[in-house]
Amino acid sequence: MSMRSQVYEWANLAPASQTATLRRGTDNQPKYVAASTEYDVFIGGIGNNITKPAETTATQFIVIEDIACTPHLGGAVQVRINTTDYFQNPDVTDQKGVPGLASPYPRGAASTSGGTDNLLKSFDLYPDVYVLPGQVFQILYSQRTATSTTDTEVVAAFVKYTLYDGPDALIANKLLELGVTINPNNVDWYKRTLIEQQQRTAVAAAAGGQA
Amino acid sequence: MSMRSQIYEWDGSRNTALTAAQAGTRVSVFIGGFGNNITKPAETTATQFVVIEDVAVTPSAFVSGLDTADYRGLTVSNGVAGPRAYVQVRINTTDYFLDPDNVGNDGIPGTASPYPRSLNFQPSFSLYPDVYVLPGQVFDVLVSFYNSEEFANVQCFVKYTLYDGPDALIANKLLEMGISINPGNVDWYKRTLIQSQSAMA
Repeated sequence: MSMRSQVYEWANLAPASQTATLRRGTDNQPKYVAASTEYDVFIGGIGNNITKPAETTATQFIVIEDIACTPHLGGAVQVRINTTDYFQNPDVTDQKGVPGLASPYPRGAASTSGGTDNLLKSFDLYPDVYVLPGQVFQILYSQRTATSTTDTEVVAAFVKYTLYDGPDALIANKLLELGVTINPNNVDWYKRTLIEQQQRTAVAAAAGGQA
Repeated sequence: MSMRSQIYEWDGSRNTALTAAQAGTRVSVFIGGFGNNITKPAETTATQFVVIEDVAVTPSAFVSGLDTADYRGLTVSNGVAGPRAYVQVRINTTDYFLDPDNVGNDGIPGTASPYPRSLNFQPSFSLYPDVYVLPGQVFDVLVSFYNSEEFANVQCFVKYTLYDGPDALIANKLLEMGISINPGNVDWYKRTLIQSQSAMA
């Protein structure tokens, strides 16, 4: 199991007495989300979080394949690798990232809270985003309009990625060097070529031995 | 019939129905004691190979914290319409889906992989690469939900392919060779075997 499809879902839900939680609970309530503030969905201190910044070890390689967020309140998601934002304006200035209107979560969500329309995605994260071994990555959620302090809305973000671990991470690095897209098919293709090479070498050695 | 497409649908409202007490806990869809169950844990024999191709669970929508009316047919509680359900795959004792800090999480949200699919709830997730259950392994599909006011209609769906007998051996061989295990590749391997035998004869 060295190539695994993984997802992470964040929502601004936490127990009443806390702003963030490591485990979802049945008593979770919506938390206030400020306008124009970037929240790291992993360790941003709002909603469900994890124990440490998201990073790859020396033997891991991550390929981020999809990001999405709730479309209401002007939500958007940005990917940051180490200190560099992935989505930039044409003048190379910062921007908020992919709007939830372009990549809605859930797909089919309404454009306003409680609305009746069904949004479809206008955006595909292709080519994928690579997180190389040893890099830290963040998924930053922001919204143009703050949630009301009295009528708090639930907002969410979603990330889909594939985790390559151990030998498959080494192959992913090799594919990157070769300029080949990193996906499970190509990793399998590289393994097959290695096996075929070994077999050819073994046959040639055996033939040479007989001669 | 040694490669068979199989599905399992679990409905938490059948037989011993889910109650609010199960909110926040994990329930096995096979032997969890709630909803429809099977007679023993799901496992592969020495001559079977299972490839899980899709998992899905009842979806939820995110609305306002003050909304109390149903939204898209789902009960709203604390700003979430629906059960806020997740589905995890466990092989032997290992959870398949992890957070980036390598801690096991609740699994795939129903919001990302909804069952049933509809215009209101479309999938954001496809299980690729597939999950392999090797011969002799026990596997489980675990559902958890966090909305204690909307649990009556929690459903889960699993789609898998069962390779049995010679096809399970071929599946193992493909695994060794680093080739994705699917019916097309198993057939391809059989054809290469037949062609090599024909060439020798």
